[in-house]
Amino acid sequence: MTQPIAMLDGPLWPYLALMLFAVLPTEIWRWLAVGFARGLANDSPLLEWVRAVATALLAGIVAKLIVSPPGVLATAPAWVRVAALAAAAAVMLFDKRRMMLAVLAGETVLIGGVWLFAS
Amino acid sequence: MSVSADWSWRRVALAGMRDALMLPAWIVGFGLIGIGSLARDVGYPVDVAVLSTILVWAGPSQVLFFASIAAGAAWSAIVIAIAFASLRFLPMTMAILPLLRRPGQSVWQQLVLAHYVAVTAWSEGLRRLPGIAPHQRVAYFLGFANTCMAVSSIGTFAGYYLLGALPVPFAAGLLCLTPMFFLISLLAGLRHRGDAAALILGLMFAPISARFIGGGFDLIVAGLIAGSLAFLIGRTRTPA
Repeated sequence: MTQPIAMLDGPLWPYLALMLFAVLPTEIWRWLAVGFARGLANDSPLLEWVRAVATALLAGIVAKLIVSPPGVLATAPAWVRVAALAAAAAVMLFDKRRMMLAVLAGETVLIGGVWLFAS
Repeated sequence: MSVSADWSWRRVALAGMRDALMLPAWIVGFGLIGIGSLARDVGYPVDVAVLSTILVWAGPSQVLFFASIAAGAAWSAIVIAIAFASLRFLPMTMAILPLLRRPGQSVWQQLVLAHYVAVTAWSEGLRRLPGIAPHQRVAYFLGFANTCMAVSSIGTFAGYYLLGALPVPFAAGLLCLTPMFFLISLLAGLRHRGDAAALILGLMFAPISARFIGGGFDLIVAGLIAGSLAFLIGRTRTPA
């Protein structure tokens, strides 16, 4: 457990820690983006590139969460985690509007897989 | 659902709320249930857990914050890890703000709009906002995003008291909701070959990059390389 910084410790510490160490390092990028986005045209090639990088970053987070999963998700064998995402993706590739069905398909594979095959 | 150009802002905001409640708000809400239990594990009060959902509004940052405290990481390491994990908001926010921009909008209003940028509002926004008249987009976006945030706050609160009681397969299922919904959102937003390339290359490059690049830089490097390649692929197909 990380201990509070001594000189700032007190009943308000959890709130202060949240603001300093979680809100600030997250929000700063949204604020910077407001500055950078000024005067950026809706259809500029730069924006198209920025969008591609953002999409690739999100896809990268998906891959990371599946390859090295947090907490209890690690009890699911790797192939079950991949199969769950593949099931969800298959539904979406069949029909883009079936998001609910895609979630249900993926979750069924995952929960069923953990139930049957968890180590 | 579609939004008519002559609707009042109230009706447009309600349409945004309804679209959020059709599914996305529930996914984010369920996805953030885990945050409540993580906050409880480190002995932080329930209002810090709920505040983290409202003020941080980024699942990975929240997971990092509470899980790192539990692991005893240094505060400096926690800040750096969260800053790197959140770097994606820079390109994401830059990509969506031009859709929400209106003449006469102040910097403060844009900062407020930027705060709501997270995966769901971003991917759904990029997909739906272009079909909505520009003067109605802010109302729609705020209706949509605030609904997601409200449902998620309830989810975080519920998780604080409930999650430990869940059987393992269901707890694993809740944790898998986040990557699954990221993937589904990206697939729903695919417009052309460049988008598909960014998605596939991002999935491939991140684990490779994680193997060779340390210190929390791996995701950013993977995103920059995969995104730039995808951008070139998208442009060679559709010459200007």
